[in-house]
Amino acid sequence: MTVARYDLLRRALWLGRVLRSRLLQPALMLVTLVVFTLAIVTGLFGTPAGSRNFGIVFVWIVWWALLIVVLVPLFGRVWCMMCPIPAPGEWLQRRAIVRRNPGRPRTLRKRWPRRLKNMWLQNIGFLGVALFSGVILTRPSVSAVVLLAFPLIALGLSLLYENRVFCRYVCPVGGFIGLYAMMAPLELRTRDCSTCRLHRTKDCVAGNAQGYGCPWMVYPGNLDRNTYCGMCMECFKTCPKDNITLNLRPFGADLFVSKSHRLDEAYKAFIMLGCALLYSAVFLGPWGWLKSWASLESLPNWLLYAAGLLAIVLALIPGLFRLCAALSDRLAGHRAGSRFVTYAYTLVPLGLAAWIAFSLGFVFVNGSYALSVISDPFGWGWNLFGTAHMPWTPFAPQLLSFLQVGVLTGGLLFAASMTVRFAGDGMVDARRALVAGLPVIAFQLVMTLAFLWLYLG
Amino acid sequence: MRRLEGIAIALVLSVLVGLPVATLGYQYVVRPAQSEHRVIDIIAYAPEAGGFQPTVIRLTAGETVTLRFHAADVVHGVAIGPGLGIDLGHIDPGEVREITYTFDQPGLFTYYCTTWCSKDHWRMRGVIEVVDPASPDSLPLPERDPIIDALAAEGIDIDTYPDGGPTHGGAHPARVRVSTGLTPHVARGETALTGLTVPDILASLEWRRAHTPLEALELLAQENADADRARLADAVAGLWLSHTPGQPAAGTVASYNANCAACHGQTGAGDGPAAGQTAEEPAAFRPDSMLPMRSDVLYAKIQRGGMGTDMPNFGTLFTPEETWALVDYLWWLTFTDDP
Amino acid sequence: MRGWRWKREARLAGWLGVLALFILLLPVPAHGTLRTLHLDLDARQFEFTPPRFEVAQGDEVVIRLSASDVVHGFYLDDYGIERRVVPGVVEEIRFTADRAGKFRFRCSVSCGPMHPFMIGELVVTPNLPFFKAAGFVVLALGLLLAHRWRHLSAALSPQAEPVQGDR
Repeated sequence: MTVARYDLLRRALWLGRVLRSRLLQPALMLVTLVVFTLAIVTGLFGTPAGSRNFGIVFVWIVWWALLIVVLVPLFGRVWCMMCPIPAPGEWLQRRAIVRRNPGRPRTLRKRWPRRLKNMWLQNIGFLGVALFSGVILTRPSVSAVVLLAFPLIALGLSLLYENRVFCRYVCPVGGFIGLYAMMAPLELRTRDCSTCRLHRTKDCVAGNAQGYGCPWMVYPGNLDRNTYCGMCMECFKTCPKDNITLNLRPFGADLFVSKSHRLDEAYKAFIMLGCALLYSAVFLGPWGWLKSWASLESLPNWLLYAAGLLAIVLALIPGLFRLCAALSDRLAGHRAGSRFVTYAYTLVPLGLAAWIAFSLGFVFVNGSYALSVISDPFGWGWNLFGTAHMPWTPFAPQLLSFLQVGVLTGGLLFAASMTVRFAGDGMVDARRALVAGLPVIAFQLVMTLAFLWLYLG
Repeated sequence: MRRLEGIAIALVLSVLVGLPVATLGYQYVVRPAQSEHRVIDIIAYAPEAGGFQPTVIRLTAGETVTLRFHAADVVHGVAIGPGLGIDLGHIDPGEVREITYTFDQPGLFTYYCTTWCSKDHWRMRGVIEVVDPASPDSLPLPERDPIIDALAAEGIDIDTYPDGGPTHGGAHPARVRVSTGLTPHVARGETALTGLTVPDILASLEWRRAHTPLEALELLAQENADADRARLADAVAGLWLSHTPGQPAAGTVASYNANCAACHGQTGAGDGPAAGQTAEEPAAFRPDSMLPMRSDVLYAKIQRGGMGTDMPNFGTLFTPEETWALVDYLWWLTFTDDP
Repeated sequence: MRGWRWKREARLAGWLGVLALFILLLPVPAHGTLRTLHLDLDARQFEFTPPRFEVAQGDEVVIRLSASDVVHGFYLDDYGIERRVVPGVVEEIRFTADRAGKFRFRCSVSCGPMHPFMIGELVVTPNLPFFKAAGFVVLALGLLLAHRWRHLSAALSPQAEPVQGDR
């Protein structure tokens, strides 16, 4: 099924020039590197009071809100273009920041294990961070150590392996960005894939004098989803046929590319939806004991919390969903096998909506901290811009619930209509397909109502 | 391209190295160098996490310093006493309060937390030793308190328990409770006094401070044999606060709420939120326990603290006048409790 | 064909908007019970006790707020009430619960690592915003499914080959 696409570069020629510039990515990375470095320095040396520490406020409130509410839903993986975490490793590997270094990359050129060429490491990594989030989100020094560990791991991997192995297979953030980037109305694609098929030198993969071969190990010629394209824009520079472009397209178009549906990605969807639900209960709920369990005040309680979280996210939610999917399969009368994995992709819009709703819930409330820490990043009594003493002021709490309801409803309706489409795939009787989708839709409705209850009930 | 690359490398290095060096250098090298006098940063942690860091500051008399207090974990407050009138108010976590001050005379001063910040809040103190520039090696000695010395000379041990050692008024002043059934109220004091024969000695503040309301009640009863005891008790309540008529001063109430209420309770019922965590049950300022109590013993307990009870000493924080005002407030709490 | 589909989806979106407006503006009888409710609310790291309490719309609420370990604060969403509370000193907060719904009260004075998540809930009953939201979600889903049902029947034809999807 084809969808309407609008080639952004046909009209905006300046955009093409910007994207082809070798300065674009390093310039953006430099900006984020300033913020990132400051976040680590303030985390290590600034006040231990999180709400007055630049590191905590700018990473977990400002960056997080920007990422999940704006960048990922609207621009897909655009954050990965400017992310400072892999930058030092990549620059050292290339021995270049801006220019195209024609020499061999400085790396041991090990082979990344085949069985790790998927999202499972990222799933594990995300859960690892999630289990400790009560500590990481609230203690500047811990947060700084975690932030410092990311570029160091990326650097280490860049010494062993060529390209963005860290981003593609390891980064805990990269996994869900890739998953939810499928929702974005922006995509990097080829204009005409037959041009690529006939093109012998495949400069986009091999690299040429203008740019490096795709660091994300993606062949743009058969790129049909945003999931693994890091939008580094190297292929814009290397493509001699001017065949790469940015398209506007309907939200969530990638989700229907069903030949790519995989269990690791399906589990990413379960993990993200489950974590959004649990975070909403733990961090925004009224239950003090849950918060103390999550913040590692006592090890046995934390172990209980960890076991509970893993059980809900890895077993209970996928299990219930599997049950609903099996019911749907039965109603559809499929013999071709379970559509469990395919149906799981309907949780992508729902999960993204849930994360947006959850994030709005604390970003609106705590966003005003950004004003005071920008003037006093370390909590040392500085006042760089005169805003150091801005009081904590929650922003428009009365607007919040409307936004949350709206976003959740949008996510649910998207998920439900995806379900109807997936169920109807290969079926003669379209109405029967709709009925077959109902068990999966019921699951989505129950999840949505659970979020609503946590936020409003 | 080569030049761009060079600029890029320079920029990246200036971020990775320059940013930390510039920020830390500004705070720890440039800022202190810019200041005309010594700047001392004092980080306030809850007592279990270390209290004030540092806990001892040594200055020379006549030296001007800037003391910069940072709160690290929870809300703290800072005041410096005794007798300096320095109160910086509360400091929220991540915030800074500072004061620039010249300590003219040698002596010992205490900076202390003024906001209940943990069950060990009262341990959260630091000492400023201001030495004489002429003899910088000899530490100033704390001054002796004549009231406490007088109690010791009288043989009263403010720490003794009812079943041992010398006692006062037949029992340990802090611990004994009498069941008089009396609930004297200061508001009824004046009416109660009219028409009573009041021994002259009761008009003496000095006498009242060294005796218990029960003793005064007995004296009154001897002179007015036919008067109702409840009325006599009301008269004593009126007498006991006759030197500070009217409502207690706002500063005294605030001081009580900040320093005493967490254990002794806002109304003096001995039921503050930390009451269950102290070594001994905090005293309640109620007639049954206060009628056999002397003002000077209260004064001494506030100034010197109570051994083994978790009652901290406030002698390093409060002047004698501030302490007497607190004692009067304890009587006010006792004599305004109308069940 | 595509234009037609686009119009179809736009019509659905229009109906959803109408539904949202209808539910939002649904008139609800105002309550006026005029009770006065007294409540002891204690703040400690990092929870309020009780963590959640319900009052009826129109009640006058008197909260006696205390703190039992360190300094805390109380900020009630939407009502704009803020108060600092020091251990040992009880604060009295008085307001009329004139708006229905769930309102979070949050610690407004930094009190330790988990401070931003120290949250309690005041539910002013009947919690119409929640019921309206839940009703809206269910009805919106129903509307979507009904809409699909109608148009799927139009696509149905007896001789249709099994549709070859993009699997």
